[in-house]
Amino acid sequence: MKNKINIYLIEYAVNAILRQKYKSIFIIIVFTLLTFLLTSIFFITNSIRYELDSTVEALPEIVVQKIKAGRHYDIDVDDIDNILAIAGVSDAVARVWGYYYFENAGVNFSVVGVDSFEEQYKGSLTNIVDKFDLNSENSSMVVGVGVKETMTRNYYKSYFNFIKPDGRLEKVDIAGVFDGDTQLESNDMIVMSKKTAREIFDIPQNKATDIVVKVANQEEVQTIASKIKLLYPDTRIVTSQDLKISYQNIFDYKSGIFLALFIISLFTFFIIIYDKSSGLSSEEKREIGILKAIGWKVDDVLKEKFYESFIISFFSYTLGITLSFAYVYLLQAPILQNIFVGYSQLKTSFELPFVFDFQTLFLVFFLSVPIYIAATIIPSWKVATLEADEVIR
Amino acid sequence: MIELKNITKIYEVNKNNKVTALQNINLTIKEGELIVLKGASGSGKSTILSLIAALSKPTSGEVIVDDKQISKLPDNFASIYRRDNIGFIFQKYNLIPTLSVEENILLPLVPLNPVADELQEKLISVMKKFNILHKKDSLVRNLSGGEQQRVAIARSYVNNPKIIIADEPTANLDETLSAHFIEILRELKSLGKTIVVATHDPLFFDLDFVDTEIEVHNGSLVV
Repeated sequence: MKNKINIYLIEYAVNAILRQKYKSIFIIIVFTLLTFLLTSIFFITNSIRYELDSTVEALPEIVVQKIKAGRHYDIDVDDIDNILAIAGVSDAVARVWGYYYFENAGVNFSVVGVDSFEEQYKGSLTNIVDKFDLNSENSSMVVGVGVKETMTRNYYKSYFNFIKPDGRLEKVDIAGVFDGDTQLESNDMIVMSKKTAREIFDIPQNKATDIVVKVANQEEVQTIASKIKLLYPDTRIVTSQDLKISYQNIFDYKSGIFLALFIISLFTFFIIIYDKSSGLSSEEKREIGILKAIGWKVDDVLKEKFYESFIISFFSYTLGITLSFAYVYLLQAPILQNIFVGYSQLKTSFELPFVFDFQTLFLVFFLSVPIYIAATIIPSWKVATLEADEVIR
Repeated sequence: MIELKNITKIYEVNKNNKVTALQNINLTIKEGELIVLKGASGSGKSTILSLIAALSKPTSGEVIVDDKQISKLPDNFASIYRRDNIGFIFQKYNLIPTLSVEENILLPLVPLNPVADELQEKLISVMKKFNILHKKDSLVRNLSGGEQQRVAIARSYVNNPKIIIADEPTANLDETLSAHFIEILRELKSLGKTIVVATHDPLFFDLDFVDTEIEVHNGSLVV
């Protein structure tokens, strides 16, 4: 009984690949590289988009900042009472926070002050306050994973000395390490008591960095923002929607760079495809002629060419995807990640979260494998449909 | 039986340059006959072989093999006709140099997806018959001219065709190897094969087992 799958045809296809060893290796390298680049771009984009979406979701609905001459100043804590009096405002919290530049490592830490008796404006902060006692006599802090790594590298294993604006040191113990809602947001974060944060940034007791406002009804955010602006014309009112647009703009700008890379890769791939589809070598034509002359039908030739191109393209595709997984998620995409996180010199590095997206795999598959197969089969079909005599001659 | 009726074949080199390879020829070859087509290069011998093997179509006229008109067969049917009926020994052998002896001989059978055991038996018997078994794993490009020709003969024989066609089979062989090839032809004829040989090698002339010698001159048959 005959086998349904023609093993001899597949064997012939494998032999054909091995016979053109150098050409096959070259195609596999180029194909793998392109698949790798395309997939890596998609993987990084997906991961960062996931991070940004999560960050935006965790943002407060309204932030009120004091502005003088276009610059951000500390806001009066007393303003909270007037804001709370606005109908629709469910809560208002004064935040004490800022960026602390750690010169030795060349990175910025985001320092956030909390009070354990206050209601926190973010779930992740509530968890920290519940878990750690930051209001004890000794100053202590909870740090993000990236901060901990940076400090350890600089021999600050159990505490850290902050340099205050007056030049004196503020020693703060490391009480623990936390993992926030998202890596992008929490990796460079330090959470400590408001009292300690005020010391480090020299913020007086009656002042705060800004005020975050919670609104019961999402539909009323813009109205309440307008009311606060009317009440305090010298403030800047930032809604979560504004921040979302701002983040999105930065992301889209960075995506543009990736899009350029994507287009270049695709362009290179299509040049190869064009070259391949523009014709076969005289050797290849002759081989098809011989096969036809000894009794192969056009579809036998095409089946063999299909196997040949499928083996090469699918192998390269799988290899490219595997390398891309390793590059993005194991090695954390060196070089490419920096294009997106361009300010990494000032921020602690973060880990790309694993986001598995079948659509990406399908998209890259359909952009490469079928196109390559078609580019191999079409010129072979052109030759195979000629008279065998004409091809051999 | 092979019949060529009023065959004309014109090759169009380009729009303004047409070459008439055959001019209104008629030829009948009976089953089991061995026909030698003689003539100088470019006389049209190879074109006759091509038409019999359905490798090309006549510009006009009919090629009939066993009462079937093969000159009008669609491409796929022409391939099946060749696979089932024709063993072609080309002048330059037309082997695939980067494949082994065994792989080259196997080629006509590949589309049939044969059963492995039967195939192996068949290949060994054919390689033995044409004295090439000891080279079965060697790449064809590393073989001598005579060995390559034996591979080409084995490949043309492996599908057990009724008709064997040989185009200038001794053009690249010395006298000893040519004589050996003639002995192979004698054996193939004794097996009942219909054989058509195109050659200008005098060794083929006046052989006792050749049924008919036909002179081809400027695209016409000279009786």
